[in-house]
Amino acid sequence: MFSLTSLMFVAFTLFSIGIAGVISRKNIFVIYMSLELMLNAVNLMFVGLSRYFHTMDGQVIAMMVIAVSAAEAALFLSLVVLLYKRKGTLDADIFVKLSQKREHK
Amino acid sequence: MIDVIFVILSLSAILSAFFMIYAKEPMNSAFSFIVTLLSLAGLFALLSASFIFLVQIIVYAGAIITLILLIIMFLNIKEESLPKEPHKLKYILISIVFIIPIDIALLKAIATLPKANMALLNNNFGTVKALGMLLYKNWLFPFELVSVLLIISLIGAIVFAKRKI
Repeated sequence: MFSLTSLMFVAFTLFSIGIAGVISRKNIFVIYMSLELMLNAVNLMFVGLSRYFHTMDGQVIAMMVIAVSAAEAALFLSLVVLLYKRKGTLDADIFVKLSQKREHK
Repeated sequence: MIDVIFVILSLSAILSAFFMIYAKEPMNSAFSFIVTLLSLAGLFALLSASFIFLVQIIVYAGAIITLILLIIMFLNIKEESLPKEPHKLKYILISIVFIIPIDIALLKAIATLPKANMALLNNNFGTVKALGMLLYKNWLFPFELVSVLLIISLIGAIVFAKRKI
């Protein structure tokens, strides 16, 4: 059976990849999927620690994190559709200007 | 045997996660994100969290990724509407260099935990029945709060989708 440290190494690596994606990319879909990846890495930590401490509360919290990320998916993607209709681009830097005019075509 | 499966699943999760933040097209990112999610579902199954394994496959790989793919197809993205990122790999490597010391510090903190036996104590660890009993006994109020949150996000998505806000 693998140790807790190796499991945490995988979880931290996935979380770091998520942070790197949020920092360094401009495509808003990739930013969103990096956010989801960070939530998944936290889920992996919760489930691994619940196995370590022999209690199932961590799995309940992981299930709630999944529910919150499902709610986030609906809102975030409807916002992306709205902004893409207004601005016509997927660049996250363009969204700092939240005007109503269609400037960037 | 479990260790071999663990290494394979971890490697596929990490490699496909890296390809996800590196790919140019959002469709390629979404498909490699599916591989990451399924590998993580396998890791949950190795940790004997069978209900989380099912929920991960159904909700993430079934619902959220399908929603992302549907939105990508619905938006009909052209080549010129993708952002130009010529120094993408450089930025990714720089941010990884800044994150690695934090990871090392956290891993050292984890390694000082006492070596507990990761083997199972009883047979119904992580099954649907045990998790449901725990959820409705100790976690009832957070569970109801999550349902309120889902209704609020449903209303919010409908409001965003209306033509005039």
